[in-house]
Amino acid sequence: MSAYVLKRLLLLLPVLFGVSLVVFGVMSLVPGDPALAILGPYATPERLAELRAELGLDRRWPVRYGIWLSGVLDGDLGRSVSLERPVLDVVLERLGPTALLAGSALLLGTLLGLAAGMLAALRHNQMTDRLVTFGVLLGISIPSFWLGLVLILVFAVWLGWLPASGMTWVWSDASGLSAVPDIAWHLILPTLSLALVAGGVIGRLTRGAAIDVLASAPIRMARARGIPERRILLVQALKSVLARMTPVIGLQAGFVIGGAVYIETIFQWPGLGRLLVEAIAARDLLLVQGGVLVLAAAYVLVNLVADLAQHALDRRTRAA
Amino acid sequence: MAIQLAAVAGLLAGLLAGLLAGLLAGFFAGLFAGLFSICWVQAVMSMHWSGWQRHRGALLGPGLLALVLSPALIAPWLPLADPTLTEPALRMLPVAAPGHWLGTDALGRDLLSRLIWGARSSILVGVLATLTAAVIGSLIGLLAGFFGRLTDALLMRGVDVLMAFPYLLLALAIVAALGPGLSNAMLAIAIANVPFFARAVRGAVLEIRHQAYIDAARLAGHREPWIIVVEVLPNLVPTLLLLMTTTLGWMVLETAGLSFLGLGVQPPDADLGAMLGEGREFLTTYPRVAVLPGMVILMLVVGINLFGDALRDLLDPRLHDRAVRRKDRAKDRGEGSEKGSEEGSDRGSERGSVKGSISDALQDVSHRDDCHQGAFADAAIRNGSSLFAALAHTDASAVAAGNAVADGLALKSVDQSYDQHADAWANVSGRLGTASQPALLEVNALSVLVPGQCGPAIAVDRLELRLQAGERVGLVGESGSGKSLTALALLGFAPPGGGLEGAVRFDGNELLGLDAESLRDLRGRRIAYIPQEPLDALDPLLRIGDQLRGAIQAHLVAQQASFESTARDRAKAVAGSDADAGSSANVGLGSKRLTGASAGVSKPETLSDVGARVKALLAMVGLDQVRGIQRRFPHELSGGQRQRVVIAMALAHEPDLLIADEATTALDVTVQAEIIEVLDRLSRSRDRALLFVSHDLALVASLCERVLVLYAGRLVEDAPLEQLLRAPAHPYTAALLACSPELGRPEKPLAAIPGQPPAPRVVGLNGAADGFGGCRFADRCPNAQPRCEEQEPGLERWQDHHWVRCWFPLLRSD
Ligand code: SF4
Repeated sequence: MSAYVLKRLLLLLPVLFGVSLVVFGVMSLVPGDPALAILGPYATPERLAELRAELGLDRRWPVRYGIWLSGVLDGDLGRSVSLERPVLDVVLERLGPTALLAGSALLLGTLLGLAAGMLAALRHNQMTDRLVTFGVLLGISIPSFWLGLVLILVFAVWLGWLPASGMTWVWSDASGLSAVPDIAWHLILPTLSLALVAGGVIGRLTRGAAIDVLASAPIRMARARGIPERRILLVQALKSVLARMTPVIGLQAGFVIGGAVYIETIFQWPGLGRLLVEAIAARDLLLVQGGVLVLAAAYVLVNLVADLAQHALDRRTRAA
Repeated sequence: MAIQLAAVAGLLAGLLAGLLAGLLAGFFAGLFAGLFSICWVQAVMSMHWSGWQRHRGALLGPGLLALVLSPALIAPWLPLADPTLTEPALRMLPVAAPGHWLGTDALGRDLLSRLIWGARSSILVGVLATLTAAVIGSLIGLLAGFFGRLTDALLMRGVDVLMAFPYLLLALAIVAALGPGLSNAMLAIAIANVPFFARAVRGAVLEIRHQAYIDAARLAGHREPWIIVVEVLPNLVPTLLLLMTTTLGWMVLETAGLSFLGLGVQPPDADLGAMLGEGREFLTTYPRVAVLPGMVILMLVVGINLFGDALRDLLDPRLHDRAVRRKDRAKDRGEGSEKGSEEGSDRGSERGSVKGSISDALQDVSHRDDCHQGAFADAAIRNGSSLFAALAHTDASAVAAGNAVADGLALKSVDQSYDQHADAWANVSGRLGTASQPALLEVNALSVLVPGQCGPAIAVDRLELRLQAGERVGLVGESGSGKSLTALALLGFAPPGGGLEGAVRFDGNELLGLDAESLRDLRGRRIAYIPQEPLDALDPLLRIGDQLRGAIQAHLVAQQASFESTARDRAKAVAGSDADAGSSANVGLGSKRLTGASAGVSKPETLSDVGARVKALLAMVGLDQVRGIQRRFPHELSGGQRQRVVIAMALAHEPDLLIADEATTALDVTVQAEIIEVLDRLSRSRDRALLFVSHDLALVASLCERVLVLYAGRLVEDAPLEQLLRAPAHPYTAALLACSPELGRPEKPLAAIPGQPPAPRVVGLNGAADGFGGCRFADRCPNAQPRCEEQEPGLERWQDHHWVRCWFPLLRSD
């Protein structure tokens, strides 16, 4: 528990505060009467008045923000109009599947990206490097929503190997541990569609970082000391590359979470991303607000972890 | 009346705002398009010179872009069916149906027409989103960067918060609030990208702000807005251009994504993302309806990204060597070295902005073929510290270079020059002599070649050197003289893209051309190297103790192929049944001591000894009293402590030859003295030889008994220290002495040598094998005569153990 960790934790507070402010602020973009937008045109006048009072629409915005924030801190994100349930309950229920999907995609993408990037750097300017570089560029340029569809087409429709939608088989009533193989089976295609894209970005940056590292003075000096190449690569170079890449991987979590919106929609994955799209379609604004807030907070925490990991690898890093 | 007035005012204001917005957008779009095409032409042109072979891949980008863009741009004039015309009777026609090349979709709309119109829409939305993000982001970045302080703090904290959102999520929230639709989706994506532009532009502005011309504008009484518009904005253009190109791909993807989710472009308008979303329903039955739009997006984005990469290569300010090379060129053309170096440092301070890069690139293109005018060295040669940075990162190049380069044209002509200097040859062998004791290191005609723009340039030319065990020799020269390249060559390292030629015999066995494993075995165990910058020599992420252990363990493992055995096998293979071969290799093995001399600690043989060895090494360099040193990281030590650690690592295996390459240059004077003391103590061994490379004659004088002077890659003087200090024979050495405050004669004023040493020249330049033809010092030499320009002097015996390469050696002045 060093000064760095404390400082980094303290820095979390203003960011989370800012995030809540932005999420609240976005709601004020709603044209016209927010209460009407939230409840829809068929709402009763009584309910409208009630919500207006609840949102404090007759008061100034700092007061409204205060009311809303204290609600959030109490775990009250409002009520979903379309689902007629507390937003927090719905969001937490959907958070798990999204975390599973995003987590496994990030893990796979990181492994793929690191391996591809390191390989390209080791074969710098050779054919392998060019192939990897182009593959990585494809990964960056590919629309993940299209990749998901193509994967479904090939592996689910044509080959029939893998399921195309959902998290479990509809007929399955397994729960707990026995559901694990089922879920894993359903996880493959969505994870792949996300991981290939995330791996593209990670691979591209890893390649650059690894080329730098391999040409850096400490590595060359290790060669001048006659340290075996394997050891140089596995101990020194890998550690340097990882130290440089951890924050990038943390940032990549943001792309994976965003991409999950498409992928969950395509694969009917019962996660937060799909929930958001449905909520937008249903004009369920409080649900959108709650979902975005929770995902943004999760993302901030992931980046905290990434920064701590980087500090563990490279003690020279400072909390900005 | 008042109402009318207000209406008119409102109308006027609206018009004005619209006009301004239009102008701004038009300005940026025009700028973008104009610069785009300039850069593109440049890219293509420069590709011509650097060889189509290497850049063939880069053409794929413009090709793909043209394939997608050109039909999309001229869509209104193409004979296409109406993309929104539904004809239920013609639904889901197959590919190549009459009148519909790619068939129709679920509503009977022509797929090809929708693809082309859809691409048009996707590109337009992507470009508009990019422009919006760029304009808003640059505005924020400009304000933050230029006004600094509170404005900066507030704006950037806001940007940080926006960045704390997962990328797409913010856009989703905005669309949710504003409602779905094309313009809302575009705005949402743009806002989500604002932080990116704001940060980059702020960084660039901060760089530009401190440039001299901004201060000048301020002094001239211009106000801040004027300065921003006239001085700062134009300098930002290349940065912005690069950012926009590299983000455009993302923007196209993300806006298409929103349309895919049904939140962007609304039906029935054709848009690639929306088409994908609609086609999803029929994925199993009519996959092409969904797959084709996705493929067009992919082609478009791949094209944009490839193009962006090419543009980055062209504009990226971090590709600095271009500027350095230009500086060299200016110098070689005799435009004055002051101007050249000024220009170079100017460039160096410009990291963030890309100012000048375009003109740089243009100049590069136009001057690429002026090899005949002068010789260019690789940037690395200019500066001692980057020399080590130029080290090859595999041994393969060294091995290959030993043979391959020699086969090429390059060294054939060098060989010929030996004939011209047959007498010099005789002298050389006289100098090196045939001592009774076999030399530890014997270097014959070692040349180091570096890649130049017009072919290999000779950075070190036919160096002769002989080192006995127990000898301490200094190698002196200015930066750029090739002394560091020589030091690295002795370890078998060749500059990347360059090569080594000649012979380096270490302990009786040839070192150049050895396989990687034998070289590895040699390095660190028998020849150790201490570089200039200790912070670079240590891995910043590993603890001191781990690094020391690593250095020790490197040579503990039972060796599969050791330097000696490989060399012996080779010698056998070459000599056949020659009995001498075996015995000479045995000399090599036998001369290897088994116990350390200086500290009396035996070499570690097993893993359990490593800990003790680490302690002994730390004690040897006087670090054993520093508490917890083994658990510290390099950045937690002082510069002197770090260099001590580096020295300890170099001594881990009691090397026979210790090469210190400017080992104290980076340290301040008192620490320097301490390190010299450590080096002095540890190199005083009958079994060890020290090669001390430095630009500082005074330091060399405090350590060495013999001094070699290198000038422009050529050995010009070789003398015992005393004699060299008392009576230097070469004018260059004399000038060096005069420059040294410690060694210079007090009655003489401190004199800098005017001019700069010449850069390495390409083989065969000016019709001379070495590219010079005459004495390399001639244009700076106070004693130069016509003869000096015509013919290079040989290295001749001047006095007993004193050799000099000069037609008119200096007589003793006292
Ligand atoms: S050879 Fe001539 S130019 Fe060269 S150092 Fe001697 S005197 Fe000077």
